[in-house]
Amino acid sequence: MGVPTGRVLNIQRMSTEDGPGIRTTVFLKGCPLRCMWCHNPESLSPRPEVVVHTERCMDCGACRDVCPHGCDPAKCEACGRCAEACPTGAREVLGIDWEVEALVREVAKDRAYFGTSGGGVTVSGGEPTMQAPFARAFLSRCRDEGLHGALDTCGACGEDVLRGLAGEARLVLYDVKEIDPERHRSFTGIDNDRILRNLDALARWADGRADPPALWIRTPLVPGATATDENVRGIGRFLADHLGARLARWELCAFNNLCREQYGRLGRVWDFAREPLMRRGDLDRLLAAARESGVDPDSVSVTGAARVDDGAGA
Amino acid sequence: MSATEPTRLDVPIKQPHGLSPRVRWLRDYYFTGVARPWNNEFQCFTTGTPWDVVYDEISYYIVPESYAFFQPFRSSALQASRTVAVPGGFWAWSLPERRAWFIRQVVVEHLPQEVLPGDLVAGGRFNILASRCWTKAEARGRDREVMGPSGARAAVKEFHDRGYGNAGATSGHLIPDYARALRIGFRGIHEDLAARLERLAPRDRKGPKGAQLRAMMTAATMPRDLAAKYAAQCRRLAGGEAGIDRPEAPGLAGGLDANRRDELLQMAANLDRVPWEPARTFWEGVQAVWLTHMLVLSDENYPGAGVSFGRLDQYLAPLWQKSLADGMDREFGKELLRCLWVHCNTVYDAMIKVGGNQGITAGFGQLITLSGLGADGRDATNDLTWAFLEVIDEMTPILEPKPNVRLHHASPDALLDRVVDMVAGSQGAPFLLNFDERSMAGMMREAERAGVQHLINEGNVWDYASVGCLENTMAGNDRSGTVDVNLNLLKAVELALTGGIDLVEAVDPITNVAYPRRREGPDTGDARAFATFEEFFRAWEAQTRYVIDRAADLYERSEGVRARFSPTPYVSCLVRGCAEKALDVTQGGAELSFVTVEGVTFATTVDSLLAVKELVFDAHKCTMAELIQALEDNWEGHEVLQAWARNRAPKYGRDEDVADGMAKRVMDVWADQVWTHRTKCTGRRFRPGMLSWNYWAGDGFVMSASADGRPKGRFLSNAICPTDGADTKGPTANANSVGKVLGGRARDGRGDWGDWLNSLPNGASHTITFNPSLLRDPEHKAKFKAFLRGYVENGGTALQINVLDPDVLREAQKHPADYRHLLVRVTGYNAYFTAVGRELQDEIIARESHRGV
Repeated sequence: MGVPTGRVLNIQRMSTEDGPGIRTTVFLKGCPLRCMWCHNPESLSPRPEVVVHTERCMDCGACRDVCPHGCDPAKCEACGRCAEACPTGAREVLGIDWEVEALVREVAKDRAYFGTSGGGVTVSGGEPTMQAPFARAFLSRCRDEGLHGALDTCGACGEDVLRGLAGEARLVLYDVKEIDPERHRSFTGIDNDRILRNLDALARWADGRADPPALWIRTPLVPGATATDENVRGIGRFLADHLGARLARWELCAFNNLCREQYGRLGRVWDFAREPLMRRGDLDRLLAAARESGVDPDSVSVTGAARVDDGAGA
Repeated sequence: MSATEPTRLDVPIKQPHGLSPRVRWLRDYYFTGVARPWNNEFQCFTTGTPWDVVYDEISYYIVPESYAFFQPFRSSALQASRTVAVPGGFWAWSLPERRAWFIRQVVVEHLPQEVLPGDLVAGGRFNILASRCWTKAEARGRDREVMGPSGARAAVKEFHDRGYGNAGATSGHLIPDYARALRIGFRGIHEDLAARLERLAPRDRKGPKGAQLRAMMTAATMPRDLAAKYAAQCRRLAGGEAGIDRPEAPGLAGGLDANRRDELLQMAANLDRVPWEPARTFWEGVQAVWLTHMLVLSDENYPGAGVSFGRLDQYLAPLWQKSLADGMDREFGKELLRCLWVHCNTVYDAMIKVGGNQGITAGFGQLITLSGLGADGRDATNDLTWAFLEVIDEMTPILEPKPNVRLHHASPDALLDRVVDMVAGSQGAPFLLNFDERSMAGMMREAERAGVQHLINEGNVWDYASVGCLENTMAGNDRSGTVDVNLNLLKAVELALTGGIDLVEAVDPITNVAYPRRREGPDTGDARAFATFEEFFRAWEAQTRYVIDRAADLYERSEGVRARFSPTPYVSCLVRGCAEKALDVTQGGAELSFVTVEGVTFATTVDSLLAVKELVFDAHKCTMAELIQALEDNWEGHEVLQAWARNRAPKYGRDEDVADGMAKRVMDVWADQVWTHRTKCTGRRFRPGMLSWNYWAGDGFVMSASADGRPKGRFLSNAICPTDGADTKGPTANANSVGKVLGGRARDGRGDWGDWLNSLPNGASHTITFNPSLLRDPEHKAKFKAFLRGYVENGGTALQINVLDPDVLREAQKHPADYRHLLVRVTGYNAYFTAVGRELQDEIIARESHRGV
């Protein structure tokens, strides 16, 4: 059996937003969804990609000298020759292959900071279930090393794949973005049937385990899309009905447009580029809706910032 | 207002809170600066001899900004001096006896003794420039060594102008034995000296030993006589005599109420007793500590930089507990501390009128060490520690004293919670954090390297404390000259490239005259002919040995001058070893006597070596000749190569083994070489540390371009920190790199202390900037606490925390390359601030401005 390698977009150390404590988050490349608000467009394709940080470019021409395609993005095969030649790092290949053991050594460097805070390692993406053998082997090795492992997933995968990964994790961060199947399809490219069924199955599976992973649900609040009372109430009802006390935490993640430069680097247009932060009042209203939806009200929280000009309560 | 309009600034700057009207007035009064009718500006006193000197430049050899002013200060201070008549036979006395008598005479009989309205602690003016009391022959002899083209002054200037750094025998920077002074009083110190004098052989009694002990006995009576003066003043004020008016309430001091009268009478009663007798109450203790401390500053004619209190929360604790048990209101005890706080700030008055409030700008570092491990291996935090933390929070922002909180593996959660809350609420820590395990490992290494295990060992190393900023020493018996030598390690890289010659011609900025460009370091060969990086590294090692040897030689000059001509008998009373050896602290009297070489430009040095390896030997981006040419041209016309050096060469500070491995090699080479030196005239062993004060900024304009891509005129790296913008992997990686280069943890468990290793006994200054959003709520504060606990395990000796404010973000907009590491954290997503667009940056700035804490 060959040792699986994983295609890693980024390793984020001292991450404070991907589970409890201080964490190292490993972002894997490739995602089955195409959320229109996607915050991590560089993670969508499972293939390596070359990005251009134009603010760093000094126009020295080193990339053009080595590119077999004259730096035509349409013909780019992400061979990485340009990035290798670039003196400023303006050209960067995203998607580096890592072996499990090397990655375990890398994330274990911050063990001292994880220890006292309930922190550890989060496997995110992209969508980790798209690299299931690697992600599972990695989480398993983290567990061997005594590192708290979390799986951050959108749930759009096979049920047994999900269970295989969840079985190696101490925490599952599970995205439920939209409760209405049609709206879900229009926002993400697929309906939510499988995602919700998988979530239910995960909860049932956990019921039968001695030491199941904790379950946190995350819902992105996207203005003009998911940030409606109806959606939040609907998700809440589903969580109340299907997860019950299995729901340890439900985070409503306020939209921000911090990633718009990433779209620029990839040469893509993003509909949400000019969307401002949400108003405090809207966030408060959605939080209230969630807390009244039938879940344990104390399990619900809003993460992220409100708009600056929104004086009251900011 | 819409999100696209100009951002509104609403920065919640930390303000003092909970202050009584008394302390609020004292604090506000202090900050009126030059408008104050009362101040503590230097007063100058001369014996009246035509050759007298009252300003001694040697303490300022480590302050390059002052080089141009040595002569004007020397002349003007003498002109401003009042003449103090000396007794008959004065000039036949030994120099320490003359000086001890003169300082006491000035402080007791010529400085006014004043008490500010409402103040609970007496001791106002102490900044003096007093005659060095040299005979004509002494003055000549001393000036011969200092002045002229071959004098110490010129050598110091040349050393700096050529980019090596600076070195000089500096005052302050020690922890005097205040604990003993409290315990036995100056009467006890005086009696001990008298007994020692008595025991001297007749021959020694007539010689320098006897002279030293007699001088120290004179000095030991100074606090007694000064306290008597202040007691009388308190009684005069209590009797209704007018004192210093409160400008907004004139006559208040005269029309005093019964409460204030009682306070003044109690102050007088305290002063009748302390510091001559042991302190019995907390009020007496605070009074005694302050008078004892301020007279150190008088004795050295130096306004306090680095004169540190040590573990004040430990040695004052018995008095605190006793007074609380006897009925002292806890709030009143804190009021005494707040008054002490105000007093400490008056050091800055020394040159307050030079440029208008110019003195009130920087940290002098009268350090107070709080918390930390105790004798039993347990945490020593006590109720007085908490009172100190409360006072710090109430008084912040304020410059002095500078607190340093010691953390370790067993620090209680409650303490860390408090520390994190204070960090969150103060745009950064209102204190430094010191980390016990790594620090103690350094002190144990020092004991072993210097053979002083009888003075530093497992049984007492927990009682170390910090000086000035973060310089670790023992307390009461240790003068480690913690800022005396500040060496730009980078100079050795330059000399390795040239075979020992300045890369570009150095110029004296005062005269505009060029220094001769000649071989100064060893001839390590033509770097252009080196076939491997190891050849270059060996050349660098040889040049490193040279720059350290040269720094030690330079230091010897001012150390020798000070030892012969500038005794400080009062300070010697407060440093164990001086009485025992009958030797002044300036002559190596302290039990522990070290000179610290602070390695400046560490990361720039490491990154430059890494860049030479990358550019010339690994990636073959240029030849050595081309690299040298690029540096001679200050990178102009070589921008692509410069970009490669900056962006593609490995950098220290990312927790990457290749770069950090080079950093460790550099650490070992330079630290080993430092230990080989000892001062010839005073026998003080040299030890390594890393603190860069402001040199990393200023010397960036002196040192030529470096191979890491830095042009002349850009800042160098600060202390043990990675170069600006290099720590792209975030704070944990940054901290891990720092811990690793200090030695990390011993795999076999046999470290210097526990399994911790530390090559730098002095400690190493480490600063990390955090985004306020990381501390925005209790959950995130808990994460920050976990970071600090992790730092205990993996990090360095000391940490300065900045919590980024919008001004820093704006700075990051202007200089994005220096802030590439800056993470902005919002909802499950982290972005590098400088990688997002300008408009978005403005939005984030506005948000951070608004959020506050």
